[in-house]
Amino acid sequence: VEFTKVAADPSIVNLGQGLPDISPPSYVKEELAKAAAVDRLNQYTRGFGHPSLVKALSQVYEKVCGRKIDPLTDILVTVGAYGSLFSTIQALIEEGDEVIIIEPFYDCYEPMVRMAGGKPVFIPLRYKKDGNSASSADWVLDPAELANKFNSKTKAIILNTPNNPIGKVFTREELQVIADLCIKHDTLCISDEVYEWMVYKGNKHIKIATLPGMWERTITIGSAGKTYSVTGWKLGWSIGPQNLIKHLQVVHQNTLYTCPTPLQEALAQAFWIDFKRMDDPDCYFYSLSQELESKRDRMAQLLQEAGLKPVIPDGGYFMIVDVSTLNVDLSDVDEKQPYDYKFVKWMIKSKKLSAIPLSAFCGPETKRQFEKYIRFCFIKKDSTLDAAEVILKNWNKQTA
Amino acid sequence: QTHFLSSLQTKMSRPVQTRRLEGTDKNIWVEFVKLAATYSKVNLGQGFPDFPPPDFLKEAFVKALSEENHMLHQYTRAFGHPPLVKILAQFFGKLLGQELDPMTNVMVTVGAYQALFCCFQAFIEEGDEVIIIEPFFDCYEPMTKMAGGTPVFVPLRPKASKDGKLMSSEDWQLDPAELASKFNERTKAIVLNSPNNPLGKVFSQGELELIADLCVKHDVLCISDEVYEWLVYDGKKHIRIASLPGMWDRTVTIGSAGKTFSATGWKVGWTVGPNRLLQHIRTMHQNSVYHCATVAQEAVAQGFQRELELYGKADSYFVQLPKELQQKRDLLVQSLDAVGMKPIIPEGTYFLVADISKFKSDVPDVPDSDEPYDSRFAKWMVKNKGLAAIPLSAFYSGDNKKKYNHFIRFCFAKEEATLKAANDILQKWKQEKTSP
Repeated sequence: VEFTKVAADPSIVNLGQGLPDISPPSYVKEELAKAAAVDRLNQYTRGFGHPSLVKALSQVYEKVCGRKIDPLTDILVTVGAYGSLFSTIQALIEEGDEVIIIEPFYDCYEPMVRMAGGKPVFIPLRYKKDGNSASSADWVLDPAELANKFNSKTKAIILNTPNNPIGKVFTREELQVIADLCIKHDTLCISDEVYEWMVYKGNKHIKIATLPGMWERTITIGSAGKTYSVTGWKLGWSIGPQNLIKHLQVVHQNTLYTCPTPLQEALAQAFWIDFKRMDDPDCYFYSLSQELESKRDRMAQLLQEAGLKPVIPDGGYFMIVDVSTLNVDLSDVDEKQPYDYKFVKWMIKSKKLSAIPLSAFCGPETKRQFEKYIRFCFIKKDSTLDAAEVILKNWNKQTA
Repeated sequence: QTHFLSSLQTKMSRPVQTRRLEGTDKNIWVEFVKLAATYSKVNLGQGFPDFPPPDFLKEAFVKALSEENHMLHQYTRAFGHPPLVKILAQFFGKLLGQELDPMTNVMVTVGAYQALFCCFQAFIEEGDEVIIIEPFFDCYEPMTKMAGGTPVFVPLRPKASKDGKLMSSEDWQLDPAELASKFNERTKAIVLNSPNNPLGKVFSQGELELIADLCVKHDVLCISDEVYEWLVYDGKKHIRIASLPGMWDRTVTIGSAGKTFSATGWKVGWTVGPNRLLQHIRTMHQNSVYHCATVAQEAVAQGFQRELELYGKADSYFVQLPKELQQKRDLLVQSLDAVGMKPIIPEGTYFLVADISKFKSDVPDVPDSDEPYDSRFAKWMVKNKGLAAIPLSAFYSGDNKKKYNHFIRFCFAKEEATLKAANDILQKWKQEKTSP
């Protein structure tokens, strides 16, 4: 909330908040106009998800997962993936439960777990010592450290792959380590896969729910906002076994009951269009990530030329950057905030460029570890990246 | 590397769901919406119009979509799209007699339903009691429970009807002494719903003052669900409890675009109140839903702009809609009365409740059944007559479900053709009963 106020100032090049300023595909916008013209689509639909949408989701994900998914019992449509996270946590986490959260993490996981009475248990991704390429793949979990976090009180682990903010795409081996522990300790897995379609060359998005023994204990969360570049539609979904989804449905029926109808219908139609071409490179699920890969590469180059050290993400539309190389002295700013918060504020003021400080994505113990990083969002149109380029090229020409 | 997994290990062996879900899993709508979808030829059950939203609103939606600025497809301000909160602050500021700050006194939600949820979560916890007036919109009870609170019910009691005349929702009243007895030091809030769903009661100035006095005396919050605020008939006036002395500071007023503009599928609602209350609602919102969809908010803002300009004039949707609905109400009242179902004439909302005692012979009583009679009746009716309605027991708590079990609720926000079709079903039914 704090940093999104910046978005309102048009003189600032906003690479902070994760929202596209590129246009959604035209057929997506057209389907919404079509849906709104149908009278009955302006009234309530099925609470747990509009029938044509859950049908479309089940088809798409059956193909991806290679298993049957019942649209009525295995899927819940929610207000954004955010709403799915909330419904899942409220349904399955309470006082006495520990929830493992991998740092850095999308910042809502911690307050949601706490609000449900649960205890967050943090484990950081650590930079591999032999890493020279500064890729998101260099950030890994220590298997022994991870195993130590599991105990009889552990109710769930929250997995986010591709990861926000780093952009790490967990490999099959890494997922197997997590899966083995989940099965051994009989825990749930809450898998936030909103960036599932944004994976770059040489990487594959793997759904932990498809690993042996995992379907029964995993809730997989997806997002229309990220899939179709329509964050303002706020539609997401949870997919999993009936015996878990039914509890999410109870939360949903007692919190907001239904999601908007015309948006769900439009989304369903968009999914049908792309489902039909899922074996085709034209499918938006693949064409978007191709578009984003070139933006990623451009962003990385600009940052490197400005003397910054970006961590090249394997997925997602964020890039974290080590700003310590610039040695900007902010010790005279006497706020007790971490370095990255101070850096971002300074950068907004003096460079008219915004980003998000990485310590926003950390638990209290690890803020020191991540405070030299800031996060940029690169799902931006060319003119925005052009404006960012101007600032970055002129960076060293100005004095602080 | 192979992994040996016994079938026991692959399934979650421990109980997974949380205690906060206890007693909240049953939901009448899931069941009855499914029945209506399967069996009904005429659906007067779930509360939504079968006529479209007004043209100006649909046009506003399309206009928002066709704009060059595609940023309406992206996140807007989390606590409410600026054009919408601004117009809501202006509009309701006038009605409440308050200077409203759009940023702190108004928050947009995913329907009034989510506004209610935020209120319960923000203000109610274990040890708190919440007074709920029966019959009530069914979600108040599970929402209270999910927040850890204890619901305390107080009924509206029907006065004896005057020699064969049809009752009015006005005849259902709170007993002042009974109401006062429900307030104690544990009482955190009272939920007020006026106009009331399902009865259609429009609380009078006197009745609201009664409630307000008790709120002030016991320092209790008021969650005021006013989604049907524009649907009042027979020249009655909707009074906002937040405008009564001592009430602004302790009341959250909830509204709904779905009901206001006949667009229930848009799921846009709002809360209006003092910052000291709204700040907690904002916290709840940012940790549960965070943003509401943008485009519909833009369109609703346009809708309110139009209504602000036409306020009180004949062309105002807020003048036309209740006029139209009053006629529909009267049509349905007539149909029901003609066949021997006794409607309680609602002063507001688009619901009415009818006494189906005369039709009991069609659905025999099952003495030890767990299911209230009216629920079995409504299910039988939709399956056998194709007419969908909702049993009144859905809107009562525990033991009272069995007490008020010979009433069903009809929604009359329907095209004339639908109401005529309902009439045909009722007429045919009556004929079948009277013919040998």
